[in-house]
Parts: sequence; C-alpha cells; structure tokens
Amino acid sequence: MTTGLEHYLLVSGALLSLGILGLLTRRNAVNVLMSIELILNSANINLVAFSRYGAGNVNGQVFAVFVIVVAAAEVAVALAIVLTMYRLRRTPNLDDADILKG
Amino acid sequence: MTAVDYVFWVFAILTVGSAAVVVSARSLIYSAFALLFTFFGVAGLYVLLGADFLAAAQLLIYVGGILVLLLFGVMLTHKIYDLNLRTEKTQLLPGLIIATGLFIIVAAVAFKTQWPQAARLPAPTTHEIGRMFLGEYLLAFEAASVLLLVALIGAAMIVRRKKDA
Amino acid sequence: MEEVLRSLALFRPETALTIGLLLVVVADSIGGTWRNAAVRVLSLASLVAALGFAAQLQAAGAEGSLFSGMIVVDPLGTFFKIILILASLLVVAVFSFRNSRELHGLGQGEFHALILGLTLSNLLLAAANDLVMLYLSLEMVSITSYVMVAYLKGDRMSNEASLKYLLFGAASTGAMVYGLSLLYGLTGTTSLPQVRDVLSTGIPGDQLGLFVATLLIVAGFGFKIAAVPFHFWCPDVYQGAATPVTALLSVAPKAAGFGIVLRFFYGTYALPVTGAWDLSGIMSWQGLLILLSVLTMTLGNIAALTQNDMKRLLAYSSIAHAGYILMGVVALSDAGARSLLIYLLAYLFMNLGAFLVVTLVHLHDGTFDLRDYPGLYRRAPLLTLAMGFFMLSLVGIPPLVGFLGKLYVFGAVINMGPGYYWYATVGALNAAIAGFYYLRVLKVMIIDEGNEDKPPLELAFADRAWLVLFAAANLLPLLVWSRIDEWAKGALTLYAGR
Repeated sequence: MTTGLEHYLLVSGALLSLGILGLLTRRNAVNVLMSIELILNSANINLVAFSRYGAGNVNGQVFAVFVIVVAAAEVAVALAIVLTMYRLRRTPNLDDADILKG
Repeated sequence: MTAVDYVFWVFAILTVGSAAVVVSARSLIYSAFALLFTFFGVAGLYVLLGADFLAAAQLLIYVGGILVLLLFGVMLTHKIYDLNLRTEKTQLLPGLIIATGLFIIVAAVAFKTQWPQAARLPAPTTHEIGRMFLGEYLLAFEAASVLLLVALIGAAMIVRRKKDA
Repeated sequence: MEEVLRSLALFRPETALTIGLLLVVVADSIGGTWRNAAVRVLSLASLVAALGFAAQLQAAGAEGSLFSGMIVVDPLGTFFKIILILASLLVVAVFSFRNSRELHGLGQGEFHALILGLTLSNLLLAAANDLVMLYLSLEMVSITSYVMVAYLKGDRMSNEASLKYLLFGAASTGAMVYGLSLLYGLTGTTSLPQVRDVLSTGIPGDQLGLFVATLLIVAGFGFKIAAVPFHFWCPDVYQGAATPVTALLSVAPKAAGFGIVLRFFYGTYALPVTGAWDLSGIMSWQGLLILLSVLTMTLGNIAALTQNDMKRLLAYSSIAHAGYILMGVVALSDAGARSLLIYLLAYLFMNLGAFLVVTLVHLHDGTFDLRDYPGLYRRAPLLTLAMGFFMLSLVGIPPLVGFLGKLYVFGAVINMGPGYYWYATVGALNAAIAGFYYLRVLKVMIIDEGNEDKPPLELAFADRAWLVLFAAANLLPLLVWSRIDEWAKGALTLYAGR
C-alpha cells in the first residue's frame, strides 16, 4: 500500500475526533486547551497533505503557518487568564466552579 | 510496503497514540508530555509530506514555545483541581459516541470524495513560502504581527499584578 | 511593490487605525501624568480619521481587490466599515473611564490599544477575500475580544467569563479551520473568488466533503454572531465583561461576523446571477439557516423573559436580534442584503443606548439588577425617557428605527414568496414575545414602587447630551429613511474578482 492522501486524512480525522472527545469530557481548563491544540494540529495536517497531494501548491503550508501563529497567540492569552484564575481562586473556601452553568 | 510507508505508520501511530493519552491521562503532567510526542509525530508527518520549513516551525513554535508555556502554566498552578470547569461528573459515553461518529464521517469524507489530483512533489519549500509571505500573503503576514502585538499587550496586562492608575 | 502602493491608497481607514494603535502603545509606555488623556485623544483622533476615510471611500464608490486579493474594497464592505468604526468611536467617546464604575482605576492605555486593535480586526474581517485572511481576521477579532472581556482582572466573574469565551471560541474556530482546510483541499486555492469559480463548475463525485466543510465553517460563523446553538458563551460573557466592553461586543464583532457571512454565502457559495443557493446539491442551505434563525430568535427571546440582570437580559436580546438579522441572509436577494444592512445600523443605536443607560444606573446605584430599577422615573426622568426610546425601538415599534429594521427584514422574507409567510409570522410572533421583557423594563422603571428614599440621579452634562443624541438617533431616521434606503441600495455591490 502506498501512502496516499487518504491515510493522512485519516490521521488528521483521528486527531480531530480525539480533540473533540477531550473537549467534551475533560474537566480541567488546561486539558481542554490541549484538546483544542489537537484540533488545530489536525487541520494543519489536512492543509499540508492537500498541499502535497491535492492542490499542488504551497498555499496550504502558508495557511498552516498562520494557524500555528494564531494558536500561539491563543495559548498565551489562555494561560494568562488561567494564571489569573488560579490567583483569584486561592482562597480556603472554594466555591463550586459554575462556569458552564446555564 | 516501502520504507516510506513504514515510517508513515510509525509517525501516525505515535501521533494518534499520544493524542489518545492527552485526552485520557489522569494527570495533567502526563497529558502535557503526551502532547509533546503528538507534536513530534506531526512534525514527522510534515517531513514525510515534504514540508520541511513547516516541520521546523512546528518544532520551534509548538514544542519550543506553546508546549513550554503549557508546562509553565501547569507547574505554576500546581493545585490543579482549582481550575476545574465542570463540577458534575462528565459522562464518557456520550463524548465517545460523538467522537466516534465524527471520525466515521471524516473517514467517509476522506475516502469518498474525489480530491483534485495536482500533486506537488517534495521539494524545499522555504524559498517559496518566503516568497508568498512577502508577495501574495503580505497583508496576512502584517496582520499576524498586529495580532501578536495585541495578544502580547493583552496577556501582559492580564497577568500583571501592580495597580496602575 | 506597485500593487502594495496601489492597495494602500484604498486602505486608509485601516492605516489610520494601525498608526493610532502604535501611537497609543508608544504614548502609554512613555508615561507621564498626561498619559491617560493623551491616549484617549489619540484613540478618538484615529477613529475619527478612519471614519472620515471610510466615508470618503463610500462616497467615491471605491471598488477593487487589494493586496493580491487578500481583501476587497466594495460598497458593501465600506458600509460595514462605517458601522464598525462608528460603533467603536461611540463606545470610546461615550463610555469614558469616568462614567463607568467598573473601569475606574484600570489602565487606559491598553484599553484603547485593544479597542483600536479590535476595530482594525473587524475591518479586515468585513473585507476578507481569502480563506487565510478570513481565518486570521476572525481570530484577531476573537482574541482581542477575549482580552477585553478579561480586562477586569480582579473580578472572578469576568475572569471565568473570559476563559469560557476563549475555550468556546477556540473550539469553534478550530472546527472552522478544519472545514476551511477541507475547502482548500476540494478547490486547491485559498482565494474566495477562485473557490467560487471551482464550486460553480461543480465538485465531481461525492458531495459529502463540501457538506461537512460548510457545516464546520458555519459553526465558526455561528459562534461569532452568537446564533443558537453556538450562543452559550454570550450571557456569561456579556455579564462578566465591563459594560462598555459588552456594549462594543454586542455590536461590532457581531456586525463584522454578519459582514463575512454575507460575503461568504452571497459571494462564494451562491451565484447572484442565477440565485442558486444550492451549489452543493446536497441539502438546502436555506433550510439550515432558517432553522438556525428560528431557533436563535425563539431561544433568545424566551430566555430573556426570566432574566433580572440587565446585562444578561440584553445578552439574550442580542442573541434574538441575531436571529432576525439572519432572516436577511436567508432571503438570498438584494432586498435581503439591504434589510440586513439597515437592521445592523438600527441595532447599533438601539443597543448602545440601552447599554449607556445600564452603565449610568450602575455608576450611581451600583447595580445591574432590574429589581433595583423601580423609581427611576422619578429620580432620573431624562434617563427613563431615553430608555423608553431604546426599549420601544428594540421591540420594533414605529416610528422608531428598530421598526425600520424589522420592516425591512420581514419584508425581505415576505418577498421570497408565500412559502415563506410562516417564517415571517414566526419572526413577528417573536417580536411580540420580546415586547414582554422590553416593556417590563420600562414598567419597572416607571410604574413600580420602590426606592423612595434614594436621591435623584445626578447625570453629568456629557451623559445627558449622549442620551439625547442616542434617543434622537432612534427617532429621526424615519424622517430620512428614503435616503438611508438609497444608500443601502447603492451599497449592495460585492466585488467579484480576485
């Protein structure tokens, strides 16, 4: 079997599904962030695979670079917020996290 | 199966396997390190696809930047349970069903669609990507720099402790 | 190089904003006692300059593709740009750090830098002509919004809201970029006009890929315009953010989102000439959007009925309005696009006015709870009168500008034919349901007993002036509606080239 486009798409599809699984089932904010990174990586694999096999130009790779840049910015802001949340929550009486309520 | 195919399977299993560990590991540190292997696997796949610049960028930015940042975040907030988003026990089964369904759909898309057949044989990409950054995608390139500036200002402002007037 | 120079000539609003952003950052870091005033002046100046340039572009009817097809300038885009810059300008001018209790004591430099960055990103989003630019500008808008929501860094609710916003948004745009990657794979190009060309000749073989790709892209758009079922972040974020930020977020990113939705579906997925909605051949996109629109309207209105927190109430109200605006997208016609533009213009003035009132009450009474509003008629007659205008406008009662918006939107749907009368009826019913909670606010302010011991509200002259101006903006457009109609008609050309 020669490795073809479909195989790469399967790998990225698996990453996408695992990312969504993590998004739906993980309780910790940093874990959810990691799942989102999996989703972004799966899209990137798609873009590079299409660039190699389907589209025949490097535009997909350029797109992938921009996705990486955006992911970096997102993680930076996310961790800043998480750090602040940790600072605000460090009191003995911990209220229930009600972020996803209603 | 040629050697290239073998290498593909190695990287594919590394990537997907580590990703599975990321979403299922009990400890956050295990997830973070599994994510490291996922990123490595993806970089390997990029090399197989002939995207040399992107593979290097992946390692530099994702592993060297984002993952290190995530690890810092994990280490600095060591009482991890404080950061929980959900209080109720999240059921694994509905998530698994949705994820499996999604995978089946995506696999169907991958196999049933008639993708265009223009192939680009592996060749050094750095030159061409650079040309595109300063040519066709110039505005996106500059806009990305504004994005990074704003993200920088924002993240620094959020985390800064001192009171300002 | 010539291309860049040529493009820059039509890129003036964005250039003004970028220069303003950089100057604000520099001014803030230089420091000094005049720092805050300087930053505000710079921010206002660059927004006014940008508005001037955009108006100039509109008057000239400028059209063209800029920067190798990354963005386009066309009358439709310029209309959106004017709305977007106006929204930011009004928020900066009206909600100063003086009259917002939440923002007291926080750094102003970053705030104005972020607002300018948000406005710039909105402009890029409304003009995006390429998949890369679409994704990048959408994320720029989103990330800047996340930071602005997290601005009240000492406030736990604000912090939680911003994290929720970020995770939800990142997930939605992550799914969207997967869809964009599939679209790239199917068409081999990232340029929207070229995507349209490929799609119009038809995708060979199975259509499932296009279907999945479009569904995922709709997820990303749905998040930005807060349509059901991508709206979950909205109430918490509106409640947790500082009210000036909420006011801006309720108008600007939503308008930019609708801009790109229009451009994407009208310009790429449908051929305006044949009016073919159904390029994919698989399912009726119209049906999907109608479903989304009905769910959004209904859920937003019903949820707002039980809200006591003013910010959450206005959040659900803005979710419902997104549903009405979607009606304009569904009616794939010039009338539909025109109705969308007019509704957004009306929505800008209604919503900002309502949020101004909420901010002023919070400034004096320290509360966002509707149950603390009784007696405001006595204590602040001008405020209550203005709120009356805003609430009635939001319901859609003539002769206020909200009625104008709804008239156009319902009219566009009715124009689609008798098969769609039920859709317009649903919209009208929803407007009636909405009347309950908007009028309830007025009832509490005017009729309810309470707060007899509280002193009258002392409003600064500037605040009173703005209230009057906003109220007038809600009342007067009906006098000049034919001119607005013509302006919207002229704004309907989409630049179709690369």
